[in-house]
Amino acid sequence: MRMARWRPYLLGLLGLAAITFPFLWLQLAPDFDKNTVGVVWAPQHGLEFFGDMSTVFVIGFLIWVGVQVNRRFGLDKALAANAVWQKAGSIWTHSWAWLVVPLIFLIVPLSIRTDAMRAAGTAPWVSTSTLGLFTFVGLYMLLAVGLNITVGMTGLLVLGYAGFYAFGAYFFALSQQYFSFFPWWLAAPLAFVLGGGVGYLLGLPCLRLRGDYLAIVTLGFAEAFRELMRNLDVTGGDKGIVLKDSSIFRAFAGLSHSQVCYAVTALVLVLTVFLVQRLCHSPVGRAWIAIRENEVAAEAVGVPVVQMKLLAFSLSAAIAAVAGVIYGAKDGFVSPAMCEFQQSIMVLAMVILGGLGNSYGALLGAGLLYLVPEYLKVLPSAIQNSPALSAIVPGFVRDSFQHLSDYRWLLFGVVMVLMMLYRPQGLIGGSRRKTEMLHT
Amino acid sequence: MSSGSTLMEIVMDGISRGAVYALVALGYTMVYGVLGMINFAHGEVFMIGMFACVYAIGVFSVAWGDHALLNLGLGILVAMIFSAAYGYANERIAYRRLRKAHALAPLTSAIGISTFLQYFIFLTVSKEKVPFPRFYSDFLTSHSLTIGPLEITYLRLAILGTTLLIMAGLFHLINRTRLGIALRATAQDQLMASLVGIPVDKIIAFTFILGSALAAIAGVMVAMYTNVLVFDAGYRVGLKAFTAAILGGIGNVPGAVLGAMILGLTEALTTLQFGSEWNDVTTFAVLMLVLLLRPRGLLGERVADKV
Repeated sequence: MRMARWRPYLLGLLGLAAITFPFLWLQLAPDFDKNTVGVVWAPQHGLEFFGDMSTVFVIGFLIWVGVQVNRRFGLDKALAANAVWQKAGSIWTHSWAWLVVPLIFLIVPLSIRTDAMRAAGTAPWVSTSTLGLFTFVGLYMLLAVGLNITVGMTGLLVLGYAGFYAFGAYFFALSQQYFSFFPWWLAAPLAFVLGGGVGYLLGLPCLRLRGDYLAIVTLGFAEAFRELMRNLDVTGGDKGIVLKDSSIFRAFAGLSHSQVCYAVTALVLVLTVFLVQRLCHSPVGRAWIAIRENEVAAEAVGVPVVQMKLLAFSLSAAIAAVAGVIYGAKDGFVSPAMCEFQQSIMVLAMVILGGLGNSYGALLGAGLLYLVPEYLKVLPSAIQNSPALSAIVPGFVRDSFQHLSDYRWLLFGVVMVLMMLYRPQGLIGGSRRKTEMLHT
Repeated sequence: MSSGSTLMEIVMDGISRGAVYALVALGYTMVYGVLGMINFAHGEVFMIGMFACVYAIGVFSVAWGDHALLNLGLGILVAMIFSAAYGYANERIAYRRLRKAHALAPLTSAIGISTFLQYFIFLTVSKEKVPFPRFYSDFLTSHSLTIGPLEITYLRLAILGTTLLIMAGLFHLINRTRLGIALRATAQDQLMASLVGIPVDKIIAFTFILGSALAAIAGVMVAMYTNVLVFDAGYRVGLKAFTAAILGGIGNVPGAVLGAMILGLTEALTTLQFGSEWNDVTTFAVLMLVLLLRPRGLLGERVADKV
C-alpha cells in the first residue's frame, strides 16, 4: 500500500535524474583543432552543484517539517483562535495601521547621525554599507508596491516592469544634461507624470483585449528600450550616463550622502504606500479587485474595465519611473543594465512571494528576497571568525552560503513555481485569496 | 551586385529566419490553443534542445568516433527526446495542477520554470557561450546551391526543407487524423471532450511533447546557423517566436507561420538598413502596430468571452 503511494514520486525523481544527467554529471570537452566535441565524466561538477544547494535543501526540509507538524497538530487553527493573535491580526484591517510597516522601515536604521555626533566619535548605529543596502531594499520595496497594483490588485501580468524603472532613470539623466538646474526633486514628479503617460500609451492597444497581451507588450517594451538606450549616441551606449553632481543627492543639513539617499527613499516609500493603500480601499481599489476576480462579471455590473485597467497600469509605471529617478540620483549613474529581464523577474518574484494583491506582502517579499541572499553572502566570514561555529558548520555548507548569491535567480524560479502550486496567495494572504487563485 | 539579387537575398534570409521562428512559434500557439496559457518556458525547451544535441554528439563521438552525418542525425533525435521530456516535465510539474486556476497562476509558474531552466544551464553547463562543433555543420554551411544570381547554403536549404516538411506533417496531423480531431476538440472544450471519451490529460501532454520536439529541431538549426550555444538563447528566440505567434493571432497554427515569416523578413530588412542591433526595436514597433490595427492578430478570429 505505502509503496504504491510513493511509486509515482519515485518514478518522477528517476525521470528528472535522467533528463538532468548530462548537464550535471558530464562536461563538454571541445576539440578546437578538429572542431569537434567530446564529453568527459565530471562527477565533481554535479557534487558541487548539490553541495552549493545543500543550504536550500535544509531550509526546504525544515519548511516541509513545519508544514507537516502544522497539519498534524493544527497549529494555525489554534493560533487563529487565540485572542492575542486575533487582536494582532485585526490591527492590519484597521485603516491607519498600514503605516506601521513603512514606519518601522523608516525608524529601524535610526542612522540619522549628525555631524556633531560624528565629531564626538559615537559609534554609528548603522554603517554606510548597511545604509546603502537598505536604500536598495527601499527601492525594491517601491518597485514591488508599484508592480503589485497591476499584478496583484488588477490581475494583469507585467513582465517588463524594469523598463519603466529605466525609463525614469534615463529621463532624469538625459534632461539634466540639457538644463543647468534640474535636481532630483524636480525630476521625480515629472517622471511620475511621464512614466504614467508611457504606461497609458502602452496599455491603450493591449488593455482593450482580454488575455495576456500586456505581459508580452511590456516585455517587448523593456527589451526595445534597452536596445534603444544601447544604440543611441545621446544615451552613451553600453557605458550609460554619468549624472552631473548638481542634480544628484548631496550631503545636506548634517546628513551624509548615504543618509540623504536613505531618508529620501524611505519618505517616498511611505508616501507611496500611503497613497496606494488609500486607493486600494477606495471604490477604485474595489473595481480593480472586481476585475481581477472576474472581468466579464465586473463589466456587467458597470465597472469601467478598460479605464480601471489603464489607471492601474499607468500608476504602476509612474511609480517605477519615480524609483528610477531616485536610483539615478543615488548612484549618479544610469546604464542599460537597469532594464534587464532579470530585474523585472526579481520584482515579480518579490510580489508573488509576499502575496499578490497585498502591499505589506510586496514589502515583505522585497525585503526577504533582497536581504536574505545579501546576508547569506556575509555569513561565511562570520562563521570563519567564530571558532565555535566553524567547528560545527561543515565546510561545504559554508561554501554553499558563499555561492548562494549565484544561485539567486535559480531560486527565484523555484520560489515562483512552488508558491503558485502550494501557496498562491503568498506569505501574507488569506484563504479567500487562495480560493480565488486556485478556482475560477 | 544588382539590386534584384540583394532583394532576393534579403527575402531568403528573412524566410530562413522566419522558418526557425515558426517552428518555435508553433509550440507557443498550440499550447495556447489548447490550454489558453502562454508557455513562457517554451524558449528554454528550445535552448535545452541545443545543449542536448551537443552533449549527444559529444557522447557519440567518444563512443564511436566522428561520423558527421550519423552523429548529427542521432544528436538531433536525442535533442528532440530531451526537449520533449523537459516539455512534458514542465507540464506535469508546473502546469497540470494549475489548469483550473486564475490565469495569472500558470503564467507565473511558467516564468518560474523558465528562469529556473535558464539558470540551471547557466550554473551547470556554462556561463559563457559554448561553440557548436563546426565539424558537424561545415558540410552544410560551406557548400551552397546557385540558382541564377542567388547563392543558398545547404544549411538554409535544410532549414527551409525541414520546416516545410514539418509544417505539412503538422497540418495533416491536425486536420486529417483522429489525434488531430481529439486535439481540436480538447482546445474547444476540455469538459465536453472528456465526456465523449477523449483522454484530455494525454492530449495536453502530447501537445507539449510535440511542440517541444519541434523547438528542439529549431534549436539545433539555430545552433548550427549561429555556431554558438548560450544559456539565454531560448529567451531571445522565445520572445521573437512569441511575438510572431501574437502577430498571426495566438492559438492559430497558420497564423503562427505567417507571423514568423513577417517577423523574419522585418528582421532581415532591419539588419540591412540599420544593423542587427536594432532588431528588437523594429520587432516591437511591428508588434505594437499590429496590436493597434488588428488586435486579435492577422489571422485571429474574435472569440466570445466566457465567464
